[in-house]
Amino acid sequence: MKWIGALLLLCATTWGGYEFARRLNNRPKQIRELKNALQVLEAEILFGQAPIKEACEKVANQVPAPLSWFFKEFSEQLDQCGSSLYEVWEDRLKQYWPMSALGDGEKEVMRQFGQTLGQHDFTGQQKHIRLALSHLERELEDALEQQQRYSKMVKSLGFLTGLLLILLFI
Amino acid sequence: MDEILRILPPHIENEIRKIPDKDLIQLQEIRYRINRPLELIFDHKYECLTHVIPTAQDGQFLLNKLGDHSIYRLEDELREGYITIAGGHRVGLSGKVNTDQGAVKAIRHISSYNIRIAKEKIGVATSLVEQLYQNEDYQNTLIIGPPQTGKTTLLRDMARIMSQGDQNHPSKKVAIIDERSEIAGCIKGVPQHQVGMRTDVMDACPKAEGMMMMIRSMSPEILIVDEIGSEADVKAIMEAVYAGVTIISTVHGDSYEAIKKRPSLAKLFHQNVFKRLVVLERTSTPGAVQSLLDGDGQILQTKKRCVTYEVDRSSSPTLRYNVGRI
Repeated sequence: MKWIGALLLLCATTWGGYEFARRLNNRPKQIRELKNALQVLEAEILFGQAPIKEACEKVANQVPAPLSWFFKEFSEQLDQCGSSLYEVWEDRLKQYWPMSALGDGEKEVMRQFGQTLGQHDFTGQQKHIRLALSHLERELEDALEQQQRYSKMVKSLGFLTGLLLILLFI
Repeated sequence: MDEILRILPPHIENEIRKIPDKDLIQLQEIRYRINRPLELIFDHKYECLTHVIPTAQDGQFLLNKLGDHSIYRLEDELREGYITIAGGHRVGLSGKVNTDQGAVKAIRHISSYNIRIAKEKIGVATSLVEQLYQNEDYQNTLIIGPPQTGKTTLLRDMARIMSQGDQNHPSKKVAIIDERSEIAGCIKGVPQHQVGMRTDVMDACPKAEGMMMMIRSMSPEILIVDEIGSEADVKAIMEAVYAGVTIISTVHGDSYEAIKKRPSLAKLFHQNVFKRLVVLERTSTPGAVQSLLDGDGQILQTKKRCVTYEVDRSSSPTLRYNVGRI
């Protein structure tokens, strides 16, 4: 009985370590997707001259799953309610962020970007997209560094914590 | 009306909805000024709603709705000073203007919005169009009137009737040069008003150039153009007339005499281009014709024995001959 409990504890902490490492590994990947999405948005706005709603629909078709939901729901909600674009944007950010592996830094970048979306002429809009992209680039470097530094350590840390607890309890 | 209510902030929308229906159909303009009371202009009166004062946020809301949340798409509109919305209604803008080397670049910090409700009065020109038809063809026509007397409404309905045609008046190919997007109220080039099946529209195109483009490319039989005035317009009209195209146009003015004195239009009157002159007056209800003149400025008598009723034997021949249509 004692050994089964110990094994379960070890499994749980190891899984926790792997899960945390996965988030660390996924963050750079998702930041890249976010950057990609903004680049698609830029192209749609500048070359396609599409309104925000249509541009976001197209972005949703071109980016992978969790992020595409964000753009899809944003463009759907934009038409329905009487609130401003920024309110819808922020509401969507709040819903989406817990689902993703993204951190607070990116959230702040996207929040500020939402305030400028659709409020400027073409050149102004392009500048704001570029600004958001460069901020995301900085966050990406940060995320890569964290990934290299911690991801392996976190995995072994999970296993070892489990082991320590077992030794303490026995 | 729903197209207009859709773009207004909810609390202002509710105020407009409180207006009784009989007043609502007379509503011409909603003037929306930041931090000043909302003004409503009806056919015969105007009203200030002192308890409804749009704030800067409300202005931003309206602008975002007008541009589908995408201000960058309004570049042309912000330079021109008006936006056409679904239904052909137009929103005029004024505020701080940004210039670039002396030319207007865009209006920023918009403080006044003038929502002009497009009145499509189908059939308003029916009786008038009959008078313009002579010798198997429509005559060159000039509509004279001050602003807000229904010149454009009349022009739009004439386009519809002429391109539709009926048993006595064959249908014609009509081309509209719509420099201010008022006649057809186009969105992305598609007319929002009924301008007739055989009508082609050149939207937001400079008149003089547009007339020549249409004649070259679309082979129209009737050319409809709003508010002529410049030398270039007159020159293009002369070209069109020599090309055998019928011209229907409008001009701002109070009376035939005043228009005749305008130097830029002198050539048109000298060559006696217009065979029909329709004069509208401010006092009359929009679209109501004050007088119909022929090319020499003489009042045109309503035709006796109207062709439409030639074979109608329901009234006595004497009466029919002297009075015409009963």
